Amino acid sequence: MNRYENSAVSNAGDIAKRRFLGQLRRGHGIPGRKYGVIYRSVLMENLQYVANMALGFFGYFVFIYIFIKLWEYMYRTPEELIAGYSKEQMIWYVMMTEMMWFGSNASAVGWQVKTDIRGGNIAYLMNKPYHYTLYILAKYTGEWSIRLPMYAGLAVVIGTVMVGAIPGFRLITVPAMALCIMFGLTINAVFKICIGLLSFWIEDATPFQWLYDKLILVVGTIFPIEIFPGALQPFFKLTPIYTVCYGPAKLIVDFQPAKCVEILAAQAVYLAAGCGLMFFVYRKGVKKLYVNGG
Amino acid sequence: MQAIRVEALTKTFRVRRKEKGMRGSIKAILRPQTEEIRAVHGVSFGVEEGEMLAFIGPNGAGKSTTIKMLTGILYPDGGRVEVLGIDPTKKRRQLAYQIGTVFGQKEQLWTHLTPYDNFRFFGAIYDIPDEEMEHRIGELAERFELHEFINTPVRNLSLGQRIRCEIVASLIHRPKVLFLDEPTIGLDPVVKEQIRNLIRQMNREYNTTIFLTSHDVGDIEKLCKRIIIVNDGQIVLDDSMEHLKYHYLHKKIVEVKMQEETALPQVAGITVLKQKGSHARLEVDTGAVEIGDALRQINVENMEDINISNVPLENIIMEIYRAKDRQQVKAAIAPVG
Repeated sequence: MNRYENSAVSNAGDIAKRRFLGQLRRGHGIPGRKYGVIYRSVLMENLQYVANMALGFFGYFVFIYIFIKLWEYMYRTPEELIAGYSKEQMIWYVMMTEMMWFGSNASAVGWQVKTDIRGGNIAYLMNKPYHYTLYILAKYTGEWSIRLPMYAGLAVVIGTVMVGAIPGFRLITVPAMALCIMFGLTINAVFKICIGLLSFWIEDATPFQWLYDKLILVVGTIFPIEIFPGALQPFFKLTPIYTVCYGPAKLIVDFQPAKCVEILAAQAVYLAAGCGLMFFVYRKGVKKLYVNGG
Repeated sequence: MQAIRVEALTKTFRVRRKEKGMRGSIKAILRPQTEEIRAVHGVSFGVEEGEMLAFIGPNGAGKSTTIKMLTGILYPDGGRVEVLGIDPTKKRRQLAYQIGTVFGQKEQLWTHLTPYDNFRFFGAIYDIPDEEMEHRIGELAERFELHEFINTPVRNLSLGQRIRCEIVASLIHRPKVLFLDEPTIGLDPVVKEQIRNLIRQMNREYNTTIFLTSHDVGDIEKLCKRIIIVNDGQIVLDDSMEHLKYHYLHKKIVEVKMQEETALPQVAGITVLKQKGSHARLEVDTGAVEIGDALRQINVENMEDINISNVPLENIIMEIYRAKDRQQVKAAIAPVG
């Protein structure tokens, strides 16, 4: 190789290096960037429907109003504790879990996977350079990113006006709570995607979605785990319920640093296991894909 | 170099069968019955880089299944597929960077976003740097004349505008192979022609390999130099367009207007398709009778006007569709004698 060739190679190397560093600065080549773009696109799309989303406020208000009245009836004295919760804590607990339920619209994520597979639309999403399951997850995250803060605002207003402040609430704990809620919603979505992916094998995964939803709703959303018999509680703590809704809501009404660490650790384990399961089921299922009309 | 190589490709679907009525429904629960449908059976072909190929067939022939196997969406039961040297089943995502797909009946654009935001989205998905992306959007928008509506939400665009945007979204990463599945479905003739011109231009300028399926004979005739016809999961014809048109077009349509009504000749090779007063429409099989001889059979002195044309390509394709295998295709379209 002569002097000029050497210099050409060196220049080409420099250009490639500069281009790579430039791309890295702008975020290109960073794993997960494209899922951030999907998230941003959904956000842009959903911002046009903020008014429509607000229509769901009425349903949330009715639901919460019924529970406020129910718990006011159940608590005979203001000092009484039920399963370790004061009346204010109990109502705020339900308000927070329902806020997550209404604000995340989690049933949409499982429904979308099911419809994509059974309707064949998955074929047109699979041949893009992203992972289908992460695409769905990013899309879903973009959807709840708008809805949830809206419901959180409404919950704070209803709660403050009708129930009063959460006993012992400190503003400094909000970031940790937000993190727990975020992880909880993501874990829920991952499990719902896993159930939706069963549509690769079975005609309709709706019954499984229904069972999962009702389990989460009854154990953990409407009632905290402590309400149930002591023998069942360790079992519930091993299920996604603990990380999806009970954990984050419990932290909001009764924040303890040790409990926060415990919940975050459990969420990390569940998220890793859930994602592993999701990728595994998808990899197996995609080979079974049958698309109508070719 | 071959952009696509397919050898003995096979795909079978297992579908549920149910007898009619409530009894059938209950029986299907207790003893589910399935049936194997052979969608693609032993298909082999190759496509050269920069080639424009029409891959056509009647509904249910297996063409969409083949496209889906070529793009890595479906897993073949047997055989081998290579697109740009990549096995789509093993490296689907790697292949996705090199190919583009347009499915005329499906939307890939985000309908609530503008075409510009959509192009930015697809550019990011394909890891295109920002400056490069802007450059490409500008270039494609000019070429496809999108400036008027590039900032209008996709849901407000006409079908023709949307399809143009769909194609641009598929080209943003400059794919080497473009799969087009009925790209002009539902479009008016002017927009169809516009889309065809753009596809031709893209093929000429970027040497993009075009793999087209369409039921529109205009798309096939005006774009492709080679045609593969599949039927019942098998290739029944693989030929050049030129060969198909000029070798197999052994039938001519002769339309004549006589000065007065006359009896038409009853000669082998001449079929009277329609006669109404002094107007007549004849089909002349040039394999059986020379066109000159056929014309001599008609009373030329009594003739006021004449028009000789080929049998439309659509009719030839229809005959091929009716045939079940290569032998039947040959018999259906080969010249007599």
